Amino acid sequence: METKNRNIRKEIEEKLNDEVLRGALSRFAEAYPVSRAKAYENVENLDALREQFKNMKSRTVEHIEEIADKFEAEATKRGAKVFRAKDGDALKEYLIKLCKEKGVKRIVKSKSMASEEIHLNHSLEAEGLHVKETDLGEWIIAIAGHKPSHMVMPAIHLNRQQVAEYFSKELKEDIPTDIPYMVQVARQNLREEFLQADMGISGANFGIAENGAIGLVTNEGNARLVTTLPRIHVVIMGYEKLIPTIQDASSILRQLPRSATGQQMTSYMTMVDGVTPTMVKKDGKWVEEDREVHIIILDNGRLKAAHDDKFKEIYNCLRCASCLNVCPVYTLVGGHVYGHIYAGGIGAILTAFLHSMGDFEKINEMCIGCRKCTEVCPGKINIPGLIEELRARTVKENGLPFAAKVVFENVLSNRKVFHTLLRLASVGQKPFQSGKVIRHLPLFLAGMTKERSLPAVADTPLRDRISKITKKIDKPVKRVAFFAGCNTDFVFPETGESVFKVLQDLKMEVVFPEDQSCCGKPVLGMGDRETAKNIAKRNIKAFEDANVDVIISACPTCAETLHQTYAEIFADEPAMKARVEKFAHKVREFSSFVAEQYAKAGRLTKTTGGTKVTYHDSCHMKRGLGIYEEPRKLLEAAKGYEFTEMKDCDKCCGMAGAFGIKYTELSMPMLKQKITNIKDSGAEVIAVGCPACMMQIQGGLDKQAPNIKIKHVAQILAENIKD
Amino acid sequence: MKKVCENWKQSFPAGKFGEQYFSEFEARGKAASAEIFRVKTAAEGKQIIAELAETTGAKKIVAVDGPLQDASGIIDELKNMGLEVYTSTTDIAEHVDTADIGISAVEFGIAETGSVCMDGYAIEHRLVSMLPPLHIVFMNSSYIVPGVNEALEVLSKVFNRGYISFITGPSRTADIERVLSIGVHGPCRFVIIAVDEEIN
Repeated sequence: METKNRNIRKEIEEKLNDEVLRGALSRFAEAYPVSRAKAYENVENLDALREQFKNMKSRTVEHIEEIADKFEAEATKRGAKVFRAKDGDALKEYLIKLCKEKGVKRIVKSKSMASEEIHLNHSLEAEGLHVKETDLGEWIIAIAGHKPSHMVMPAIHLNRQQVAEYFSKELKEDIPTDIPYMVQVARQNLREEFLQADMGISGANFGIAENGAIGLVTNEGNARLVTTLPRIHVVIMGYEKLIPTIQDASSILRQLPRSATGQQMTSYMTMVDGVTPTMVKKDGKWVEEDREVHIIILDNGRLKAAHDDKFKEIYNCLRCASCLNVCPVYTLVGGHVYGHIYAGGIGAILTAFLHSMGDFEKINEMCIGCRKCTEVCPGKINIPGLIEELRARTVKENGLPFAAKVVFENVLSNRKVFHTLLRLASVGQKPFQSGKVIRHLPLFLAGMTKERSLPAVADTPLRDRISKITKKIDKPVKRVAFFAGCNTDFVFPETGESVFKVLQDLKMEVVFPEDQSCCGKPVLGMGDRETAKNIAKRNIKAFEDANVDVIISACPTCAETLHQTYAEIFADEPAMKARVEKFAHKVREFSSFVAEQYAKAGRLTKTTGGTKVTYHDSCHMKRGLGIYEEPRKLLEAAKGYEFTEMKDCDKCCGMAGAFGIKYTELSMPMLKQKITNIKDSGAEVIAVGCPACMMQIQGGLDKQAPNIKIKHVAQILAENIKD
Repeated sequence: MKKVCENWKQSFPAGKFGEQYFSEFEARGKAASAEIFRVKTAAEGKQIIAELAETTGAKKIVAVDGPLQDASGIIDELKNMGLEVYTSTTDIAEHVDTADIGISAVEFGIAETGSVCMDGYAIEHRLVSMLPPLHIVFMNSSYIVPGVNEALEVLSKVFNRGYISFITGPSRTADIERVLSIGVHGPCRFVIIAVDEEIN
């Protein structure tokens, strides 16, 4: 059910002011990549392993019902009872009835996210059953009455003092803040629970159709006790955990521990197949009996996702939480602001499918689309892409907010109106400072907010400078069109001038098709696909008319949108297909194109000495386009510059489209960290390949390090070319 | 004792198991806080266990039988030391919760992760491996597969029903402040006696 009356802004503010949380998360964000890399040191080809897992899951979801049937048949053959629960209510009804029939009074649980998803404990307790979570972290948050704030480390938001307080309250004795001591206290208290329990409830990390076994990957040993001591064992498992064969567990077992906790293997990997013996005391004597096993396969939205062409990808989620661990937003605010039990970007998607769409809508803007998560995900899930897809569906169903609709449909669809507005903005930027309209415009218009220094709209946009900067090239080697994008055209026209200079120096004829407009990414980001299509059609037409060999963009976001996204949004329009393909084929990102040309011309020789320059990888450049070596080669070869790397060079600067403007409180700490890393590198110049990052970082430098200059790679190259 | 498979060795992948993987297995196992002792004969293993019983001040021991335990003569040795030793299923059920040491054997090791594979179909074996604070296992030092892939290749041949565990060091948690603590619900110490003389 959807959580009502939430004030997300207030929740974010509270989390940002929670010193314990901030400390824990930032330490973890530092430590995680190191331990993950160490754990994978003996995996020869991680990408192949991820691919293997992804393929296995993709094959499985295509036949999920058959696989479930096979699993059920094999488990049943071995004495287990299998129940398919369509939702939480059905599951609870089955389980409560079972407890009544079998005289169950006491239950011990090992971790099961699926049971938390449906708030199972609450319902069981309401029936008078005694239920104990036995995973230490889960026990802590159960005592504290909290929701998990991380999928693997549910109590990461608490420190030892807080845990000791909760323990003292629960056990009615003074518990010191010594961690090993507290762990022993948990061992003793929960040991009694294990020994007395009638029923053990576990989750499952996988269920094997071939032999009906379930697998559990744990560290504490509680899941082994839950599946061994009580006379009844209940497994709660979502459909997404099913895999065809025993050997298919390999790509799970080789990734889950490494990605989740930086271990090559957890302390225990347990597989339980069918009924197994247990010892029961009868009339004072121990008797060996078969344990009763019930396996509940939970649907609760999962089968709908399985049949959804895009969202079947969520079956690739291992619940390792590596996506949270690298997420710039999660590592600032933790898991609670995500509302339900699944945190982070993947959590937003799971929440939409397994909980409520309403809760998704409240948090969907928390994804900044930096794609760090996609880079580490064992299942290669395109988390930001799925979030954008969900947004698009929401817009299709519910429409855009009114103000945005007016702007998108009337302003952004019409280049002339839009550009007139921009020119007006350069004259009188004041009128745009308030009102709802501003944040729905492409992000640079919102630069007029007062929270940070952002560049104003330029007096003369690039399009008005073209005649001045265009050189006549004799026998040009190529005819190139420049796609400026809003930022370069109207905010950083100098970058555009540098691009012209560099390309013309390469003996290329450069043209600027007048009818080009915004690439459409800002409206796509808001989920308005129809307006984006209109914009795309105009751009494609403008460049077709220009009749060029190559289309260059010096903005990775525009480049990706033109090169890749246009083809996707016209996938259902066969009439456009050939045109889009031809157009997209010509699109090249500036730095990679120039590096290629320079390499051919022997202009990539490393130089030493000069001004120290470091490079910031834009999210879209590195993870969207896969370009990160080329700009470095250009900088290393640039005369008068000495290239140096900085820490976390590819971590998001916090701009991320509308996010940086709307969630200034989240964007600013990310920017601050970026500026610190730039300063620590000792660089005097920070080079970027993306105008949006340039805007953000420039604003931060202005406030924190005014001596450091920011330059687009194009500008640095242009400096080395004589006029 | 009930087992998932009576002869695991038959299912080891041809050419992909053996003593050559021991050093990697040992390094990774130790990195996961397993204590590993390599001995030539099972009888040498008996000495190590007897010393462990003495140094830990153990009084009560639960053990399941198996070829390696039998060959080592450990049960008689512990009894001779005057310790309480329980080996029947009902005795184990009765005493396991208060036992100081559990003794059993595992089928093979995995070099990639430093894990061992335990056939836990028998309830007594599981109890012995889960509840006491110290779990000691015997294994043949040449029964090692290189990786998780090969381990699952073995399982796919033999695992038709029952209970299997890969054990990698002692029980652990990092749920409070991500500080690693050893010995939550399972053993605080996990000791492997790897025997060179092959006993099957």
